[in-house]
Amino acid sequence: MISCQHIDKKYDTVRALHDVSMSCDKGEICGLVGANGAGKTTLFKILLGLVTADSGTVEISGDGAKKIGGIIEKPALYHYLSAQENLRLFSKMQGANASKQAVKVALKQVGLPLDRTDPVRNFSMGMKQRLGIAVALLNNPSCLLLDEPFSGLDPLGIEALNQLIFDLAQQNQMTILISSHIIDVLSTVCTNLSIIHDGEIVQTGATSAILDACTKGYTLCGSGIKNASFLSEYHALTNGDCTTITASANEISEIIFKLSQQQIGITSCKPVLDLQQLFNPKQK
Amino acid sequence: MMRLLYIETYKLFRQSRTYYAILGLLFIEAIVLLSAYYQGTEIIDIVLANLKDTFYFQGNLINGSLIIYFILNSFWFHVPLLCMIIVSGMLTTEYEEKTLQTVFMQPVVKWKYLLAKYIVASLFTVLLVLMLALTSFVLSYGIFGKGDLVVYTNGLTFFEHDDAFYRLVYAFLFGSLSLVFFSVVSLTFAVLFKESFKTWIVAALFLIVSTLLLKVDLGNEVWNQIAFFKLNNTWQYFFNGNIDWKAITINSVLLGFYTLVTMLVGLFIFQKKDIG
Repeated sequence: MISCQHIDKKYDTVRALHDVSMSCDKGEICGLVGANGAGKTTLFKILLGLVTADSGTVEISGDGAKKIGGIIEKPALYHYLSAQENLRLFSKMQGANASKQAVKVALKQVGLPLDRTDPVRNFSMGMKQRLGIAVALLNNPSCLLLDEPFSGLDPLGIEALNQLIFDLAQQNQMTILISSHIIDVLSTVCTNLSIIHDGEIVQTGATSAILDACTKGYTLCGSGIKNASFLSEYHALTNGDCTTITASANEISEIIFKLSQQQIGITSCKPVLDLQQLFNPKQK
Repeated sequence: MMRLLYIETYKLFRQSRTYYAILGLLFIEAIVLLSAYYQGTEIIDIVLANLKDTFYFQGNLINGSLIIYFILNSFWFHVPLLCMIIVSGMLTTEYEEKTLQTVFMQPVVKWKYLLAKYIVASLFTVLLVLMLALTSFVLSYGIFGKGDLVVYTNGLTFFEHDDAFYRLVYAFLFGSLSLVFFSVVSLTFAVLFKESFKTWIVAALFLIVSTLLLKVDLGNEVWNQIAFFKLNNTWQYFFNGNIDWKAITINSVLLGFYTLVTMLVGLFIFQKKDIG
């Protein structure tokens, strides 16, 4: 479990965080969503002990030499060393098992090839991300913090990373906290979300509840959808086989039912979020 | 601590810039040797023109001892600058590439990590001096042969070959203390400035100012004795007529003290500073 209470942080006169409190339980995947500059990275640096908070407390439960591991922004590795050498070096540094076998297990855990001996500067962003996670997982921490882990990854990379995060939470009962500004991706992996805006947590709760409250419409795709005349009641904007409508979560199942009665098959239904409501509900 | 020392040494010798620095040092040495080989006799003739009318010089004055002395003079600027660049890079690159963040996300004690860097940087500097000494002795005596050493400080001083040999050896040994001081200073600058270019500029400026202040009279005997910039020419004392061991010992102890204080200041600041 990881929690922080009433965290404040200022850089000179700029307020980075104000009265930030949040927690994530064992085996849970929590998300921290915020626009660029909202304070996500500062909060993560404080949780990882890289930056000292002006006030507030951080509590991380777990036993062992290392309670928490993480990646801040991009995985920072020794680019002139190979993946195996990086892992051996970081293991040795903290007195963890640095044997060949242990390094192989660490590589396997994150799905990296065992036969790459070239420097990590040659690796793709996805591979570096995986190696960064392998370094973070050395010494079996109970919590993992990933700051913007999806940036720079292609859809395949995002899918593979999602799977790895699921596995770590379910199989190892690890507490995982992920920050991102890409809410679509976070909503698929996180059970709980906290929304940070201007250094303050403005919303926190179950992912589905937060998304429902902030959904202002849906984008529906399916062949023949432009023929569904009743959608005009919902301020429909059609683009090819997709239509974006203004509708609430309660209305959407009825709309899909009506479409199916008109023999229009829906291939996807994506919520359209009211970002103003999401990031700044007080102002709304 | 031993683990951290091993890691720092491993990283240092796995980076290409370390070998560029070693090559740079050998390049300086090669330039001195080539210049001496092609133009050395003309230069020495100009220096000794007046004396040659009065005295008879037996043997060749362009010899191994003099060339080693020329190479030793790179201790004033070239070698310390090279050491400062390579040593400060041990930390600035970690700040810039953010590997320092990855390191301190592991259970590693900050001051111990930096102390390991200070120790490895000092040992590396001594290693560079040893390498420079070894290659300069082998190449200079191998190419130019043995001979007496003529040195111009306040006036011309002559040392017989055997005497010159041990004075040169001691000069390299005690000169390494000065280089270790500059290396430690550059690593402390790296703690303060974090960026490579800023650190290089400040380190070069520090070296230049220190060299300039060496010749400035502070108007007080005590300050002239204990100011750090008055201690970096101790190796030059071996080329005075009589070796003043007392002054050399005091200077070396004082320089060791300054090195230690600089290190402690760096450790204190680093421990207090956020990484991020």
